[in-house]
Amino acid sequence: MSIMPTNGPDLGAQQLVSSYMRAGYTLIDPPVLQPAEPFLDLSGEDIRRRMFLTTDPHGHELCLRPDLTIPVSRAYLQSPSAGKAAGFCYLGAVFRHRENGAAEFMQAGIESFGRNDKAAADAEMLALGLEATTLYGIGAPEVRVGDVGLFTAFVAALELPPAWKRRLVKDFNRKWSLAHDLDQLTLSAAGSPPEYQGVLAALERSDPKAAHHLVADLLSIAGIAAVGGRSVDEIAERFLEQASLDAGARLPSETRALIERFLAVRGDPDEAAGELRNLVADTKLSLNGALDLFEVRTGFLAARGVDVRAIRFSTAFGRGFDYYTGFVFELHDSKTKGPLIAGGRYDALLTRLGAREPIPAVGFAASIEELAACGAAGGAA
Amino acid sequence: MSAPLILAVPSKGRLQQNTESLFARSGLELVKPRGSRDYRGTIADFDGVEIAYLSAAEITAQLAQGAVHLGVTGEDLVREMIADADRDVVFIDQLGFGFANVAVAVPQAWIDVRNMADLDDVATAFRLKHERKMRLATKYANLTRAFFADHGVVDYRIVESSGATEGAPAAGTAEMIVDITTTGATLAANGLKIIDDGIILRSQANLVAARAASWDGGQRETARLLLDRLAAEKRAHAYREVRTRFAGMNDALLKEAQEKFGVAAPFGGPTSSGMLTLHCPPKHVHALASFLRDHGAEAVSVAALDYVYARDNPLHERFMAELDRDAPAKNA
Repeated sequence: MSIMPTNGPDLGAQQLVSSYMRAGYTLIDPPVLQPAEPFLDLSGEDIRRRMFLTTDPHGHELCLRPDLTIPVSRAYLQSPSAGKAAGFCYLGAVFRHRENGAAEFMQAGIESFGRNDKAAADAEMLALGLEATTLYGIGAPEVRVGDVGLFTAFVAALELPPAWKRRLVKDFNRKWSLAHDLDQLTLSAAGSPPEYQGVLAALERSDPKAAHHLVADLLSIAGIAAVGGRSVDEIAERFLEQASLDAGARLPSETRALIERFLAVRGDPDEAAGELRNLVADTKLSLNGALDLFEVRTGFLAARGVDVRAIRFSTAFGRGFDYYTGFVFELHDSKTKGPLIAGGRYDALLTRLGAREPIPAVGFAASIEELAACGAAGGAA
Repeated sequence: MSAPLILAVPSKGRLQQNTESLFARSGLELVKPRGSRDYRGTIADFDGVEIAYLSAAEITAQLAQGAVHLGVTGEDLVREMIADADRDVVFIDQLGFGFANVAVAVPQAWIDVRNMADLDDVATAFRLKHERKMRLATKYANLTRAFFADHGVVDYRIVESSGATEGAPAAGTAEMIVDITTTGATLAANGLKIIDDGIILRSQANLVAARAASWDGGQRETARLLLDRLAAEKRAHAYREVRTRFAGMNDALLKEAQEKFGVAAPFGGPTSSGMLTLHCPPKHVHALASFLRDHGAEAVSVAALDYVYARDNPLHERFMAELDRDAPAKNA
């Protein structure tokens, strides 16, 4: 690792941040040292082994920020503009153990909060991302786009027990799990019968309320009020939910084929929208506005001068992070393995960080390292 | 004088007793020349080995660093404490004591949770309902993370626990736990149950070698002699010696006995007078004795073996092959 900053990449990065500021984003520099809790809570335990953790004298767990989205979000929530529309940009180091490359590396990005014109905000992020690559003299990066919101709406519209819907949505970001889920769903009736199958089958045909009371009463008789943070009601509810799951609830092969048909949709956004409209027409499933949002976004992208036909959209594309809720994108260049730029919409994050009302949020981060590696001589003027 | 091979053994409790008797059975008496409170020792009448008495966790840490050559410790600790265990150490042999399962346990009241798939669903439902993740208390954070990732469970948080993990759900500091258990009795006493497919690791004491230790001096030869003793005892323990002599004993009959009872003929087939020595797994000894008498044997003697030295030594060969093999590449 060099001690002195090298001229090339840093100059380019400065120009990049200046371009963000000209686009109306306020430069912000959150502390490097952050509470570890939000990262672990939002990114999952798996990130722990890649983080640099330490403990303060009071026993609170701190970390060197592994990304800037959460620190910028927290700074926004603590600022006077919390809840209002506000946009921030940053340039700074993040810290993560990586298989290849130094654990400290630079990111420059944008986070946009509180804008209700979601389609326009989404389109602006991708357009700004493309401008960043242009600034580095990168010709035509590969543009990969997905929309988590389409999958969520699609699953919500399917006739499936709630437990299976939860699972499919959760496993969307883990592709082998999703395939595994579909196998499980199709085969579940062939699996071993549940321990209480007889009871569950009997309860399934009875009045739901009475069944709920019965299970809750039985648990209460056993002297169980709330164990391990789950209330008797919660346990009873899910126990009964299993009745509907296990009593021969096998995913019909048509439903599986439908899910697979949905996940196979790919192409440029207009082609994909056409296929999805056909799917909706064939199945009478409502995607509840998610498809409209998708099409409006494509319109905004075209209006911003983005070459829409060059975008590679896929319904199955996700970024592997649970906090994305809608539009997601990555810009790639064949010269590097990781994305040059990656981002997306994360409307649920700010409530998880303590906001009282949901606040729409979208953003992206550019990897200075990757941009400089691909760019013509470290950035053009 | 060349540098000694350092063998780390547990410094207290059942693990120490079991380790000492394992070595004693191989004719290796661990002694503390400077008194029982000493943390360094030697092996009586066996040169080149220094014994380091340490806690099982400390043994594992020292193996990872290569500060000791060989150590007796639980596989659970090795897999938990060394991120890439197969890169840093060689598991030479399982020792047949110190059995413990590392398992996922939840409150018994969770009648709707039987397997990891249920737990996965409950964890996600819990997060959606309570706006926080379920907490899991454990000393085995690394094993837990890898196991949960394999099962696609993501909606949980690990709460480090340094003792009495099984009490965490009742105390309200966690919803579930991952802990070691031998019989499950402690878990049951705390109102917990093990999930059907929730056994993360079936662990026992292992003889483990550190790749990073210095193996350039006389340590390889010392290790070979040590493993020769251990292997001789291990092989002796796995067989009984069966001897007989009768005219009808021939190669065809021997072949049949080998197929039926898994016997070995360490000194070759029957002599011209039908004299034969066999090594037979203990559980087949009586059936073999009947078989031999049915075919004409007047008498069959069965005796326990102290040591069986063979030209080959599988423990040592596996160890050397592993030690010289380039460490497995990290996931590229």
